[in-house]
Amino acid sequence: MPCEQYKNALVEAAAGSTTPSGELLAHLGECASCSAAFAQEQSLFAAVDSGLHAAANTEAPPSLLPRVRVALDEATAPRLRWVQPLVLASAGIALVFVVFLLARPHRSVQEEVAKQAPAIVPIPKVSAAKTNLETTNSSGSTQVAANHFSHFHAARNSTNLYAAASSNPEVLVPPDEREAFARLVAVLNRHSDVAAALMAKAPQKGVLVTADPLQIPDIEIKPLEGAETETSKGASEKQ
Amino acid sequence: MQELVLNQPVSTARSELVREAAQADARREFEERLAECGPLAYRVARGVLRNTADAEDVAQEALLRAYKGFERLRDRSRFRGWLVRISFRLALDRLRSAKRREQRDTLWSHPAHLPAPANAEDIAASNQFQSHLERALEELPEKLRLVLLLSAMDGYTIEEIAATVGVPIGTVKSRIFIARKKLAEKLRCHANSIKMR
Ligand SMILES: [Zn+2]
Repeated sequence: MPCEQYKNALVEAAAGSTTPSGELLAHLGECASCSAAFAQEQSLFAAVDSGLHAAANTEAPPSLLPRVRVALDEATAPRLRWVQPLVLASAGIALVFVVFLLARPHRSVQEEVAKQAPAIVPIPKVSAAKTNLETTNSSGSTQVAANHFSHFHAARNSTNLYAAASSNPEVLVPPDEREAFARLVAVLNRHSDVAAALMAKAPQKGVLVTADPLQIPDIEIKPLEGAETETSKGASEKQ
Repeated sequence: MQELVLNQPVSTARSELVREAAQADARREFEERLAECGPLAYRVARGVLRNTADAEDVAQEALLRAYKGFERLRDRSRFRGWLVRISFRLALDRLRSAKRREQRDTLWSHPAHLPAPANAEDIAASNQFQSHLERALEELPEKLRLVLLLSAMDGYTIEEIAATVGVPIGTVKSRIFIARKKLAEKLRCHANSIKMR
């Protein structure tokens, strides 16, 4: 057992890995038990350091780095897997768009043929004004009306049809105008006479309208029955 | 409208590809660090956990996290410090959850760096002491434990420890001193029964 007054100093010296000096060094030279205790403390700290070194410097298993690489691959892979379908979907949409564009000229020829027929017949200006069409060119308004009319029906009947019709550039209709056409169609559905008036053949431009002179039959003036009897009566009375 | 629908995924895919390229760069750079820092992460974890398999799991997790935060950790010294801290933290978490489950592995793996003992008696004694030491280490306060572990690691200077832990050099020195004394106190009773080298 070390001397009580040197016990802490021995531990401190061993813990600090320093060589004892001064009073402690002198005591160690003359006290065998303190000297033995100091040697034991030094051994203890050496063992602690050795054990710590062993604990802190263990060789990493060879499987560690390959494992980490696999985990890194797995951690980054989902993003790549997400990109692939996105690119494929984009390509698919682009393909559909190209097919759509290729199919368009054929369709537009049919549409032009269909459009030209009503375009020949001009609408009277009165009808156009009535349906909120503030256009000056009556034939132009008819064409636009025909287009919107067909688009409106396409939209109502089927989304596919609408999609097909929307390949036409004129599909971009302001919302208020679209509403106006919707109202026109509603009116046409309710009142067939308005539709007939719209479709009626109007006189061609530049041709004078000939009209028969007004025929007024001769007026036959007949005396009132009561007056006639009165005068005849009076006349007879005078006679 | 159609143009908008088409443009969005295409631009997203393009930015995704740019990000993928940046990721590939980061991956290459990280790969260079892996050989050096992988064992470091493992050692820190192994210093806390006495189980090789657990330490390997923790090291892997720490390295994955380091990779995720690699953009802001490209500076080498910062990277090392961060990796040590995260590895230490993850190891402590695992140790605590293992304690809670009370399924702690009692078969501790033997340190590879321990000098070859002279005979079987010494092997038993030495392994026993190492076990006691590692258990005593586990009982140390966290801040003492990390500093002591790092001080015991090859190639770690006091300055590096101070930078890693974020405390002054004097604090590192005093923590090492206190930690060694605490360990010695816990092991003194075992030291008498074990033949020490
Ligand atoms: Zn003495």
